[in-house]
Amino acid sequence: MIDEDQINFIRRNLLKYLMEDYLPFPVNKSVCYEWANGLNLKKGGETIIYTGCSYQLAELGKRFDEILPTLSKFKGVERFSSILKVFYKPRDTRSYKILRNIASVLKSSVDFGYLYENEPYSGTILLEMGMIEEFREYAKKLIELFNSHGVKRIITVDPHTHYTLFRIKEMFSSSWNVEIVNYFEVIKNIKIKSEGTFVFHDSCLYSRFLGMRDSIREVIKSAGIVLKEDEMITGKETSMCCGGPLAPINKDASDKIARNRAEALKTVHNKVLLVCPFCYANLSPYVEAYDFAEVISGE
Amino acid sequence: MSDWDIAIKRGVEHNVPRVFKVLREHPYLEDLARKVREGKLEVLSNLDHYIEMTMKSVEMIGGKAYFVENAEQAREIVGKIVGSGKRVVMGKSMVAYETGIRKYLQSIGNEVWETDLGELLIQFADEPPSHIIAPAVHMTRERIRELIKEKLGIDPGDKHEDIVRVAREFLRQKFLTADIGITGANAVAADAGSIVLVENEGNIRMSSVVPPVHISITGVEKILPNLEYAMYEVLVQAAYAGLYPPTYINVTSGPSSTGDVEQKRVSPAHGPKEFHLILVDNGRRKANEDPVLREALLCIRCGRCHFHCPVYRALDGKWGDPPYSGPMGAMWSGVVYNDYKPALLCSHAGNCREVCPMKINIPKVLEYLKSKYFMMKAGTREG
Ligand code: SF4
Repeated sequence: MIDEDQINFIRRNLLKYLMEDYLPFPVNKSVCYEWANGLNLKKGGETIIYTGCSYQLAELGKRFDEILPTLSKFKGVERFSSILKVFYKPRDTRSYKILRNIASVLKSSVDFGYLYENEPYSGTILLEMGMIEEFREYAKKLIELFNSHGVKRIITVDPHTHYTLFRIKEMFSSSWNVEIVNYFEVIKNIKIKSEGTFVFHDSCLYSRFLGMRDSIREVIKSAGIVLKEDEMITGKETSMCCGGPLAPINKDASDKIARNRAEALKTVHNKVLLVCPFCYANLSPYVEAYDFAEVISGE
Repeated sequence: MSDWDIAIKRGVEHNVPRVFKVLREHPYLEDLARKVREGKLEVLSNLDHYIEMTMKSVEMIGGKAYFVENAEQAREIVGKIVGSGKRVVMGKSMVAYETGIRKYLQSIGNEVWETDLGELLIQFADEPPSHIIAPAVHMTRERIRELIKEKLGIDPGDKHEDIVRVAREFLRQKFLTADIGITGANAVAADAGSIVLVENEGNIRMSSVVPPVHISITGVEKILPNLEYAMYEVLVQAAYAGLYPPTYINVTSGPSSTGDVEQKRVSPAHGPKEFHLILVDNGRRKANEDPVLREALLCIRCGRCHFHCPVYRALDGKWGDPPYSGPMGAMWSGVVYNDYKPALLCSHAGNCREVCPMKINIPKVLEYLKSKYFMMKAGTREG
């Protein structure tokens, strides 16, 4: 159930990549910020939108998880990372569209900038794996980076990045005094592009770790979306995980969780609405899934 | 769908709405759960003192009390009390499984029967339990029918009721002729030396009353400050496990006795002439010294977290080191077996924390165990 070689491989490489490049695996950095091209977001500033590279890397991360068991068996494979860092630029255009939509909806209610090539990955995978000491180390580096850009207020757009920053604040409460808000708390006057009824798949983090279950539903409904509920499937205690966080540790279990979840959701409604790039990556092979940010627009 | 998928789907669909209903209909249970947490924390913050007090109380009422540090010592003591060539009936006890009592007693020449139906099926199949209070939750009734046919040579048929009837007839004989009954304890009252056990089948009542000798084996974390708290504990355990009111609550305070002849209290009367309580440490006291792991010791084994956990479900119930399974099992694998690997499989869905009557922040404990795993690896410079 646990392949210790694989875990050792992750342990050896993950922190190294993060500390060198602010990325969890070797890939060209442009993958993270290209989505913002042409949007004319100002560079930096006290208030920034921070993607944590979650949307941009979710699909790619999944592919890495698939090859991890094989990869970790090859000695010397780590040498290829410098090549990948230059040439590997897998663009996920769907995620770019989502981020662009979030940014344009946000623009009408708040003034913000973006860090572009300086934007770091959030470090969420360290938390998920439970590499807490390593996370602490990386978090210090993130704090330094945000401080060096004079960041005072961060707007996050996905649950993992939001939760990660929340944990960093908890760990370093005395030395990092930044306001962290989520885009759900900021956006106003949004509406659905065309009539829609969905079953909503909660993000575990938003719902059970960040206490945002109800407020997110409010925003969704205020956009004119109709949500179907079932106490046994979409309740706070019963709605289950998409399996995402388990993928690097045990891909089969992760997939099984995703299939179970998709099957359950389908019994409520055929169209699933979600708010997390990892949930999308995991559930979309099994069910018709939409990110909230791709079905709405600003007024 | 695999057998497991079918069985667990049925299990969840029966259990989850029922617990919700029980809690809605009896709102005082949440208060009681809060009290039990308080009582347990009180004991844990002064554990050695309460162990001593419990042992003294047991001796005061004519029982024998033992404290053992590990599984081996537990087997040794039980072996001495039981001897060989005996017939032993066991009421479901996870600590007995943890310490390997059944197999040990068999190996020294005893006939030993699990009397909880689920546990008996586990004994028949020689498989590890898949859930802490419904150990055979992984078996469909179709599979159980086959198993009984094979082991007892009787086809019970397909109905739940008929399967239960065949097991009852088989076990009744064993109860009546057993020399020794072994049970666990849901709660132990430090002030009174009483143990409290909750059940629905009646097998625990029989195991603890019919044979002339009753041995109770349990973890030191089951101690509560007094009998009041111990009674709350079993009510809460039963409710969150989903069978409420429980059919039977058994309080045992020492061997049977009577004062009916001139008011002189003599022992035994109809029940056992001997009562033994074995309190097992096996990693618990060490865990208790760690503020994060202490939380795991609050677990009252209701098994509710299992039914809300996507990982337990996806891993076919084989998550954790037996008899401990599911979210609580991932914690307890760390507590008693120093095995942190099960924790790595937690996907922090967080449902377990929402439903736990003891409000254990299970994902936090598991994250902590994960970090211990990685620190250990970094320390050994492996790889
Ligand atoms: S951890 Fe909580 S929910 Fe799970 S078995 Fe223990 S008391 Fe019950």
